Amino acid sequence: MSDTVTLAGPQQRQFNPYSDNGGTILAVAGANFSVIAGDTRQSEGYNIQTRYAPKVFRLTDKAVLAVNGFAADGNMFVKKVKQRLEWYRHAHSKDMPLRSIARLIQSMLYGRRFFPYYVYNILGGIEEDGSGAVYSFDPVGSYERETCRAAGAAQSLVQPFLDNQIYFKNQVAAPGTSHPSHLPLSDVLALVIDSFTSATERHIEVGDGLEIFIVLARGAPIHGLEAIQGIQEMTSNAEGERVFIVRRVLKYD
Amino acid sequence: MSIMEYNGGSVIAMVGKECVAIACDLRLGNQALGISSKFEKIFPVTDKLYVGLPGLATDVTTLKELFRYRVNMYTIKEEREIEPDTFAHLVSSTLYERRFGPYFIEPVMAGISTTPGGKVKPFIAATDLIGCLNFAKDFVVAGTASSKLFGVAEGLWEPDLEPEDLFETISQTMLNAVDRDAYSGWGTMVYVITKDKVIQRTLKGRMD
Amino acid sequence: MFLTRSEYDRGVNTFSPEGRLFQVEYAIEAIKLGSTTIGVRTSEGVILGVEQRIQSPLLESSSIEKIMEIDAHLGCAMSGLTADARTMIDHARVTSQNHAFVYDERIKVESVTQAVCDLALRFGESVHDEEAMMSRPFGVALLIAGHDELGPQLYHTDPSGTSVKYEAKAIGSGSEAAQAELQDKWHSQITLEEAQKLTLRVLKQVMEEKLDHHNVQLAQVTPAGGFKILNETELKAAIESV
Repeated sequence: MSDTVTLAGPQQRQFNPYSDNGGTILAVAGANFSVIAGDTRQSEGYNIQTRYAPKVFRLTDKAVLAVNGFAADGNMFVKKVKQRLEWYRHAHSKDMPLRSIARLIQSMLYGRRFFPYYVYNILGGIEEDGSGAVYSFDPVGSYERETCRAAGAAQSLVQPFLDNQIYFKNQVAAPGTSHPSHLPLSDVLALVIDSFTSATERHIEVGDGLEIFIVLARGAPIHGLEAIQGIQEMTSNAEGERVFIVRRVLKYD
Repeated sequence: MSIMEYNGGSVIAMVGKECVAIACDLRLGNQALGISSKFEKIFPVTDKLYVGLPGLATDVTTLKELFRYRVNMYTIKEEREIEPDTFAHLVSSTLYERRFGPYFIEPVMAGISTTPGGKVKPFIAATDLIGCLNFAKDFVVAGTASSKLFGVAEGLWEPDLEPEDLFETISQTMLNAVDRDAYSGWGTMVYVITKDKVIQRTLKGRMD
Repeated sequence: MFLTRSEYDRGVNTFSPEGRLFQVEYAIEAIKLGSTTIGVRTSEGVILGVEQRIQSPLLESSSIEKIMEIDAHLGCAMSGLTADARTMIDHARVTSQNHAFVYDERIKVESVTQAVCDLALRFGESVHDEEAMMSRPFGVALLIAGHDELGPQLYHTDPSGTSVKYEAKAIGSGSEAAQAELQDKWHSQITLEEAQKLTLRVLKQVMEEKLDHHNVQLAQVTPAGGFKILNETELKAAIESV
């Protein structure tokens, strides 16, 4: 028998089920459209896992969901939302309205109140009344309808810029005039692209690629959309709501 | 609790066409509790050079006095005003002296110098709390709202802004950034420095 | 059908060799013993009317509840074993509230009807060793009236879990004569007021006693006002106008 005696002291082990995969998402509502965007970089610490991992998903012809935070939870969550939308379609023979999707997402997130999906969700699309809408959520389901919202790694960089450029915060309208409550699509697209190039410039977790989804209300004019380079339509029915996607490259460094 | 967020506060400086601008918020807090809305963080070094000192309030006062002392000594010994880039190195070495027990301040400087040929050279710089210099060509930020300031400035700033446009740019950047920062705000002060004058304005903003 | 009675009418979920579920068929028979209940759909809303049989002069007629609210936009009238309806309506109410909670919208009339029908077929269902929750089929038929994005609608459900959409429907003891009368008098241009009169007139024809505000109950579901049971004054006025 060995003459050295080791006394085992207390040991602690821990498993951390979450990680942060960086990236940023953003959505802006117009009068009769909605724009939802996200970068495509997925990282863990200083490692880039992939330069193309989509964070923005088309749910229906009038709803697009952007998911940011822990990618594994995000992908699973989108899968479950899509499953619930399919079940709803079968049970009630119609597509779920946007406000109902928003409420459903709250229910699903709060359902995991004590082991949350580590994700920030932004839902964009067209409301039943034809207006553009954006809903933003925290990981446990607190939600709100807004005109614009940024979330993720570069939220702190982008949100105050959007406050200034979309809500016209700290700007005074010329006498006898007022600030518009909704911007035209071309302005919104320019601001979204600017936001992401800015975030890419100053945040290491943002970059590689940008995916912008545009949801147009039923019967809304095309607003010169066809002129946008590389634009693709994802819907086949020009009578209903229409979803378009625009892709842009962001810096790789 | 981070000591850099104990009192709150932010500073930004920007380069324009033959001019520079520097702005600070006026809040002094004790963590979440607001204490004063008259706490200036920008101080003149010469009549064409200003320094902003965001960070731990006690160190703001101490460093302000220390820089005044060292700049005065420089002026007396050299019999000339200190140049912006020289001052930046003075700031850097002063902070690095305390490498292992630093002042909790991240200074930001903005000034203009005139070359012997009469050319106006705008100058901005910032350092971290141990004096690592950053000579940026566009803008520098520091303080509790730094990430917000970076985001807005990156979106709004463009090269060769005239003094009035530079004032608008830095003001909008500051106001919108501090509105999203709980530790900064409660008023804003802006300095625009041109070769023949300094414009100083106190801005009204959200007071919450 | 009673001629073919055999041991196959015992188990609630055993088919007879002819492919029939006797217990379900008997349950449907139970409805024919119930009081007459009528529903009429119009483009302005739906009318529900029931006969309340007053078996004794000592009976407080207001304590007989044969029309019930499911939700603000949904109402329900019943005929048959009304006690069974309580379980079904409770299920409909929970389904409707849960839908509003999860989806932030009013449930469709068809969906709530389907939920009730799903429940109707749960008899004899048991998980391995446990006792079945319901031992027999429901002995009641419902007329579910409501309004949603597809407009005012009227559905009929029976103990077999079948649901059918109707423009006008009568159930209960006087249903055969009443249905024939509805078929004769209903037209697509009918107004809510006309539907109310039609309901009372048909009830009057098939009721044994003289119709008055004690032995009849009326309710309506309209897009603007939702579900509402007519109060005594409104009911008296409606009866007088017939």
